[in-house]
Amino acid sequence: MANAALETSGTPPTAPETAGAPGAPDAPALAQGRAVLRRLARNRIALWGLYAVIGLVLVATGAPLFALNQPFYWNVGHGAEFPWLRALFNRLLFENSVDILFNLLLVTVPLAALALAVRRRLYPSWSAARVVGRYFALLGILFLSSSVSSVGSWENPLHFTEKVVNYRLERERLIGEGHPPLAWFPPLPYSYRETSPTRSLEPPNRTHWLGTDTEGRDVFCRMLYGTRISLTIGVVAVAIYVSIGVALGALAGYFGGWVDLLVSRLIEVMITFPSFFLILTLAALIEQRSIFHVMLIIGLTRWTGVARLVRAEFLRQKSLDYVQAALAMGFRPARVIFLHILPNAIAPALVSATFGIASAILIESSLSFLGVGDLSVASWGETLNTGRVQQKLWLVLAPGAAIFFVVTVFNLLGEGIRDALDPKLRV
Amino acid sequence: MRTYILRRLLLMIPTFFGISLLIFLVLNLAPGRPGKQSESADVVSNARGEATSESFKLFREQFNLDKPVLFNTRFLLTTDELRHQLEVAGQVVPATIQERMALQEQLEDLGSYAVPHLMQVMSDADRAGQGALRDTAAYFLRLNAPRRLIDPYNPAPAPEVRAYNDSVSSERSRLSRLRYAFEAPESEKHEVILAWQRWYEEVRERFQYSGPQKLRIFFLDTRFATYWSNLLRLNFGVSLATREPVLSTLASKLRYSLSLSVVSLLLAYAISIPLGILSAVRRGTLGDRALTTVLFMLYSLPSFFVATLLLYFISEGSNWPALRWFPTGGFQSPGFEDLTTFGKIADVAWHLVLPIGCLTYGSLAALSRYMRTGLLEVIQSDYIRTARAKGLPESLVIGKHALRNGLLPILTLLSELLPAVLGGSVIIEYIFGIPGIGQWTVESIYQRDYNVIMGVQLLSTILVLLGILLTDISYALVDPRIRYH
Repeated sequence: MANAALETSGTPPTAPETAGAPGAPDAPALAQGRAVLRRLARNRIALWGLYAVIGLVLVATGAPLFALNQPFYWNVGHGAEFPWLRALFNRLLFENSVDILFNLLLVTVPLAALALAVRRRLYPSWSAARVVGRYFALLGILFLSSSVSSVGSWENPLHFTEKVVNYRLERERLIGEGHPPLAWFPPLPYSYRETSPTRSLEPPNRTHWLGTDTEGRDVFCRMLYGTRISLTIGVVAVAIYVSIGVALGALAGYFGGWVDLLVSRLIEVMITFPSFFLILTLAALIEQRSIFHVMLIIGLTRWTGVARLVRAEFLRQKSLDYVQAALAMGFRPARVIFLHILPNAIAPALVSATFGIASAILIESSLSFLGVGDLSVASWGETLNTGRVQQKLWLVLAPGAAIFFVVTVFNLLGEGIRDALDPKLRV
Repeated sequence: MRTYILRRLLLMIPTFFGISLLIFLVLNLAPGRPGKQSESADVVSNARGEATSESFKLFREQFNLDKPVLFNTRFLLTTDELRHQLEVAGQVVPATIQERMALQEQLEDLGSYAVPHLMQVMSDADRAGQGALRDTAAYFLRLNAPRRLIDPYNPAPAPEVRAYNDSVSSERSRLSRLRYAFEAPESEKHEVILAWQRWYEEVRERFQYSGPQKLRIFFLDTRFATYWSNLLRLNFGVSLATREPVLSTLASKLRYSLSLSVVSLLLAYAISIPLGILSAVRRGTLGDRALTTVLFMLYSLPSFFVATLLLYFISEGSNWPALRWFPTGGFQSPGFEDLTTFGKIADVAWHLVLPIGCLTYGSLAALSRYMRTGLLEVIQSDYIRTARAKGLPESLVIGKHALRNGLLPILTLLSELLPAVLGGSVIIEYIFGIPGIGQWTVESIYQRDYNVIMGVQLLSTILVLLGILLTDISYALVDPRIRYH
């Protein structure tokens, strides 16, 4: 690691060109990254974890392909309609922004893949990273701009609201009237928020693969869409606390003195505190809480572990030669911190972040189990609590298994990354 | 050693202070307040609204909700600001209902700090013939002018407190007569206003603050300072919901929660130390790997899921009569008092098997993993080789020489495990219906019972701080290399 670190500073002109363009500050980090990836690829269990995570992302993204009460194709005699595509961005059907984000992914990822495929021929000078970067920037802009309902008196054309037609019921009605429509539905023609008092608490059967809950909502459907919530919670909450932890830890470790004293005190205070109490209190005190409040709360309360790791790493690296060399070159502290030390100090924080995703998912499901989550989203914990109260096994097993699976997968991946990043840590 | 413990105890004070500040800020700045005013108390006409607002004010005063959270700058208030607020609150200038209600509440909270300005506005408005503004000012004057009783629920107050309270009460009854209906004739209104002015001339110096007094008000006449001064007297306040002192309820509930978490922690250590040793000694064997896998799976299983399943299958609520082994919840059976001592212990233990199991299994993986790693590191060191070379039996080498150093890593874990176990017990107590602190917390959070939430959190913080201290002390006992000076 020290070797790679030396090259990071980019100071000696004779630095061996291991990978990438010479002089680019991230080149050795890339070399390091490749070594890590190689080690990760050799770790079978971690690979399974990685595949499972990819699978989860696919399931989360493709949920509307499996379950939605809108048909892909619909024809009652006056021309073809494609209600499924329109419904994806309808705010009255998908109220939650998380769903809109995943639906955007669902629609645009094939396009992005296509762009990646034709890039070599059309824009040979563009790197794959550039295409992916542009794609995510575009995604972010689209998502943000579609989240705003109106700007001043202007109605935002990207913010779709349209009366939701339940095409499944519509088809049943038309069949009853004797002229069935031409329609192609997803395998499970239900929406996760579609309630029905007539089919409440049905055990698993052929139409409802995992049964229904007290309000007659399809449990399988809720499990599918719950993947989106869990993944988003995990990733966003962890992203928040890793940013906080890295910033504070880096400042404390690099500057020392009173900054360190202050941050260390703060860490001590937060660690001493039973954080679940704090999270529970915060979540319960917010009226009309949304899933983003939950993410923010988890992010704001659990940064201490990362801050400690980064701080310790900075303390250790600060006195190393390459940092001294960079300082002697006259680089500003910000540059030394972020471009020189941070790439070498981030590894333990990344490992902790992967485990953190698992624990954030667990916290969210505990919160919704206690009834202080976001009630508008399909949360696994909420279904589990319903099952506990109603004493219905299928309402307990399905979400429990889902939570268990996701948490295991991220923990496995975390173990794998830890072993790959630093084989010495292997236990 | 003693000086070390003393120093650690002293260092805990700032940490504790920081935590109490943190919780306090979170609770007080979070949106949504206890005892929220639901009725639209319109200043100008509503007699019923006046009654609700009176009791609401008492409630807020009793729990210090009328004071600013951290710093009090109300002595900086100017008459012009107040006049503007009064104009909005009294519908002299147009405003939305929400704005008006918020301002009305804000004006009530100002308390005695508003009195001189209210007097000023009232007299000015009276002279200028602005009837509505004058009436509003008089209304708020009557709400804000009476002083507060000290310790009103104490049946046997100290003589000087009693004397003070008596004078306050007589003044209150005098001031409560200084009111008029909005329909009253001008002459009657004028009488009342003159009476107000006479009263103000008598007590004018009460509202003039010197420099040091202002400093005192700035820091001390706040919610946080009041709460802390109560804390120093071990007064955690009373529950907003039951009006019972928080501390005594806390003490009575502590035994449930402590028996749960302490037994769970001890059990976790008692199980995972041998497991860790076993897998370190048999490193790489099938047994080691199987154990690691099983513990890893347990670690990923959410405890509320396992608890629900256990209750479903092997509790008295089970569908299979042969599996009704454990009670569905609670801490003891209904006929508990009639049991013998041994019977009582057995009864509690029977009730606690499932909750403790659920609370414990998750920490096994981390603990035994740390134990294994720590021991493996130690086993490779020179002094272990020496011990083996001396011909000591392997059991002695591991059990005595290696174990002592190998225990260090998992001792440090105690300080991280304790908050986790306390937090985890919330959900376990909720599921199993154990009337401990965790369940109480959940209930109080639903009811926004601030004093209880504060009390519970401070108490658990103290428990964790003590746990950390205990860790450090046991460190010193296990590792003679550590010297504390």
